[in-house]
Amino acid sequence: MAKTFKIALAGNPNCGKTTLFNNLTGMRQHVGNWPGKTVEKKEGSFTYKGRKIDVIDLPGTYSLTAYSIEEVIARDYIIEQSPDIVVNIVDACNLERNLYLTAQLIELGANVVLALNMNKFACRKGLKIDEKKLSELLGIHVIKIEAVDKTGKEELIESVLKTTSSGKKSENRITYGREIEEHLAQLEEVVKGCIVLNENISPKWLALKLIEKDKQVIKKVSDLKNGKEVLEKAGVIQKHLSEVFGEDVDAAIADARYGFIAGMLKESVEKPGIDKLTMSDNIDKIVTNRILGIPLFLIMMYLMFQITFTAAAPLMELVDGLMGFLAEQSIALLTSLACPDWLISLVADGIIGGVGSVIIFLPNILLLFLMISFLEDSGYMARAAFIMDRVMHKIGLHGKSFIPMILGFGCNVPAIMATRTLENKRDRILTILINPFMSCGARLPVYVLFVSAFFSNNQGLVIFSLYILGIIIAIIMGLIFKKTLFKGSSAPFVMELPPYRFPTFKGTVIHMWERGRVFLIKAGTIIFSVVLVIWFLGSVPFGVEYASEQSVIGMIGKTIAPIFKPLGFGTWQASVSLIFGVLAKEVVVGTLGTLYGVAEEGLGTVLAQTFTPLTAYAFMVFTLLYIPCVAVLAAIKRETNSWKWMWFSAAYLTAVAWVGAFIVYQGGLLLGFG
Amino acid sequence: MPLSMVQEGDEVKIHCVGCGFGLKRRLCDLGLYDGTKVQIVKNDISGPIILKVKDSKLVLGRGQALKIMVEEGGRE
Repeated sequence: MAKTFKIALAGNPNCGKTTLFNNLTGMRQHVGNWPGKTVEKKEGSFTYKGRKIDVIDLPGTYSLTAYSIEEVIARDYIIEQSPDIVVNIVDACNLERNLYLTAQLIELGANVVLALNMNKFACRKGLKIDEKKLSELLGIHVIKIEAVDKTGKEELIESVLKTTSSGKKSENRITYGREIEEHLAQLEEVVKGCIVLNENISPKWLALKLIEKDKQVIKKVSDLKNGKEVLEKAGVIQKHLSEVFGEDVDAAIADARYGFIAGMLKESVEKPGIDKLTMSDNIDKIVTNRILGIPLFLIMMYLMFQITFTAAAPLMELVDGLMGFLAEQSIALLTSLACPDWLISLVADGIIGGVGSVIIFLPNILLLFLMISFLEDSGYMARAAFIMDRVMHKIGLHGKSFIPMILGFGCNVPAIMATRTLENKRDRILTILINPFMSCGARLPVYVLFVSAFFSNNQGLVIFSLYILGIIIAIIMGLIFKKTLFKGSSAPFVMELPPYRFPTFKGTVIHMWERGRVFLIKAGTIIFSVVLVIWFLGSVPFGVEYASEQSVIGMIGKTIAPIFKPLGFGTWQASVSLIFGVLAKEVVVGTLGTLYGVAEEGLGTVLAQTFTPLTAYAFMVFTLLYIPCVAVLAAIKRETNSWKWMWFSAAYLTAVAWVGAFIVYQGGLLLGFG
Repeated sequence: MPLSMVQEGDEVKIHCVGCGFGLKRRLCDLGLYDGTKVQIVKNDISGPIILKVKDSKLVLGRGQALKIMVEEGGRE
């Protein structure tokens, strides 16, 4: 059997790289992380004429410098794993910028095949691209494709195979100007003479990177034998060149690359005389309008939530029924096998009850993510980030932090993971710290229960007030953090606005699934283990009724109940339900049911005896704000890579919750709502 | 004149990108460097601006736009 063949996909963000990846591999893909990095790694494979071809989706990058993790990953992969071919996807409507990456891939010595995507749009814009000419000039294969359908797919694969069998590497034809070329050649000789290189690394590339003062390359060279000599020589050349150019040498090198590209395009692309206003331009005129922008955005969000909650309700009932059925069946089965009571309780109360209470949100969350993915893939979310930049700026963040906030209304776990798109650490941690204030789907059942019992006339309004409260507190805390812990300034706000595109169904579903998967995994792993701990505490000393006043958890509840006294809900039942709520916030509802010994339907009546409307509201406020669920804590730990931030958020959120509920309750008493 | 003062619809030529090294390089990767012609698509009194660079649209924070100097007459 022929050896498996490895291709890597490289390209700018929004050029259709992921679409091509999905198109090539179908659903046969594996998503993981790059070792030691919080950047997603996607791998897949397909078979073509009996040959298995592995595909790896490199992170979308504009360049291959050492300035962002994504770029370093892409670069290291190409050097260290030496894929047979790098397929570089470029947007035909925006060749000049897209080819900048191509130029660097060729410099790097990768074996490149160019996939020219979105030709239809280019055609509509009046661009005439002669791909044969372009291929000739670049010295690599150029294939026109449409990533959304099958156009050009076969030609692309064929030319990938052809390029490999020819065994020739892409040659670097960029000329950097006489002055630079001369010194580049000098340094290349020094590199060749002094250090032994891995055969995948082109000495010319290394010399070029040394002249560009690439931090990562400099570090690697300094670790090598004779590396010092090379660096010294590079330093001399550096100095000389900066004197000649009177500025950064890398600007001159970048200029040379763009010059090379512009020259090439002049010969191979015919442009229309005047730029026509595209459809995207027209939509943007309305959507980014200073006055219309925000209201339009709010309407869109409102519709999104309405659709989610309406459409998800029957599905959630279905899952609920299924879980109930599963619990009953397993009780019956275990009883028939004469299993001890504790085991039955472990399976029914602990595992099925605990994990089930989280799974029930799957429909809700998947639907919301489906719509967010649609908005993201269509290009609208980038506009939302633009519109909201002014608001986010006030709390020391910029527009890009806004997308994780929106995701938080579904589930805070993928929301926290979405902070990966933010460039600097300060922005990421600040966004992560205030994210749990976005009221996730799991908090809604708690509101629904209390609102239907105490505020039957204004249900919608009261729930809405809690969502708004979360947002207001996020802003307040953001302001406080900006003035105290995070005094520095946010990363510069630079973002591309991709043209609007109608997302493909497959792409949107895959995108949704990537996020939903995270939620399911958390239910399967972290929550499972915490469920066991809590079940255990509720069951010891053995013989007590599950989670009753005599169990360890009941005793803990009784001990901490006085803390909640000033908030108006100092009963041990309330305390225990809040402890359980750390599992997943809606577990609060189920726990109250268990503790009062009534089914959820009867819970409202029972609660009316221990809560007043005021204490009910204080309780909801506390539920909204206090320590996030275990899955979110785990996500915070993973994404900040620090226990410190995890414990900090747990502690500070609980403190904020206590203060918030205190103000509501005591203030309410003063105003005579008691 | 800083980029942030250019009026909507005007075309200008980048004269000098006067921001930090990292950002300068990033902007260059996005096609914005000394000598590039750009068109201002959106510039409200506050908030970020939108510009057309080569064939793509970029959003740039106001703070960043302040540090980029341009000269008029990008139109040939």
